[in-house]
Amino acid sequence: MSFLERVDQTIRRSPVFRSIFRNPYPNDERSRAYAVMNNVFLHLHPVRVRQHAVKFAYTFCLGGLSFFLFLVLTVTGVYLMFFYAPSATQAYSDILQIQSQVPFGLLTRNIHRWAAHLMVFFVFLHMMRVFYHGAYKPPREFNWVVGVVLLFLTLFLSFTGYLLPWDQIAYWAITIGSNMAGYAPLFNTPSKTLLLAGLEVSGNTLLRFYVLHIMVFPLVAAVFLAVHFWRIRKDGGISGPL
Amino acid sequence: MTDQKAPPEHRVVLPVDPARRTEIDKQRVPMSARPYRLLALVKQDAVVRVQKEPDDTVMTWPHLLSIEFLAAVFMSVFLLFMGLFVNAPLEELANPNVTPEVAKAPWYFLGLQELLAYFHPTVAGALVPLFVLVGAAMIPFVDRENIRANRPSDRKTAVVLFSLFCGLGLVLTFLGIFFRGPGYAFTLPWVSGFHFSL
Repeated sequence: MSFLERVDQTIRRSPVFRSIFRNPYPNDERSRAYAVMNNVFLHLHPVRVRQHAVKFAYTFCLGGLSFFLFLVLTVTGVYLMFFYAPSATQAYSDILQIQSQVPFGLLTRNIHRWAAHLMVFFVFLHMMRVFYHGAYKPPREFNWVVGVVLLFLTLFLSFTGYLLPWDQIAYWAITIGSNMAGYAPLFNTPSKTLLLAGLEVSGNTLLRFYVLHIMVFPLVAAVFLAVHFWRIRKDGGISGPL
Repeated sequence: MTDQKAPPEHRVVLPVDPARRTEIDKQRVPMSARPYRLLALVKQDAVVRVQKEPDDTVMTWPHLLSIEFLAAVFMSVFLLFMGLFVNAPLEELANPNVTPEVAKAPWYFLGLQELLAYFHPTVAGALVPLFVLVGAAMIPFVDRENIRANRPSDRKTAVVLFSLFCGLGLVLTFLGIFFRGPGYAFTLPWVSGFHFSL
């Protein structure tokens, strides 16, 4: 037995390791079933899945990757929050500081930006995939509705995040975007006041978008994601093969 | 040690009383008359499975989890390289008094901004997005024809309508991204350049 194998065995036999992982590495069907069932992260999945569902060309992993991007955005977003204050006087200089002074700040901001665009794109693609597979048909009608809500939440997560750098692109993109809300018949002024905390984009808007971006929409999205995943299981797993 | 089992000789199976012989007993062949021997045991599972539908499922561990893991790894690597080599755009400080030459909404709202160029703002800015969202949510309750069909060739109307809608959105967004320049006027990207930032 080589040195590394001995170290490996010592670690695996230690009481600490065995208190974390109760079962040995799953190698047979029974232990693999338990590994999925007894793990808080894996038990989202059923123990067995239908064969066509694991083919890459059926789902292209679009839904899963959208969720993965959501997780990436959460992690990078939390890191950026440490160095950012949502005020009209400070936000822009904080972004400059993140890019030049903060360790991995530029990389984290870049990843957050690209992952955000990619998530919107992947959610769109996921929706198209589900449509072309007719996967919204009974008994999955309501999960489609939950998915539409999640698309809406994704768009608004991205839209509220767009303002936070407080540069010219952000300011004017949000001005144009929110002008559209002002065109709503009857409730144009109230809806704009609600969205912008005023009649035009200002420091109040920045604070409002910040709170929506880092707290409200992620929490609501997490709840809808939980329902979305739960419903996949309850509606009989992934939709059938074509 | 009081409840010892009775020795085996006390549990010898006695021949069935002829008056109480059941159908199964009649079919029994005496050991000595048996013209065959036991050569192998077939597990019950294997016998039962002949009548069952072929199993079309696989274990989540490792089949599904390995694919998910690989997808996550590829995505992470892709994001890392994007983050390392392409910087997120950042212009000068926001200034409400200076409207930039090119002011565009984020790309996913550019289709709507493009519609603003053709329709009344109430239509393009409020009614169309409302219609799209509510319409999308209502798809499963409207499309009740061929309720079991999920093959695109069995539900051509739904597929064609949806594809047209997606194509329209794509064309509008594409126009907004590439063919709109300063003042949101129509330009040709190969003449006046590229006016867009992600």
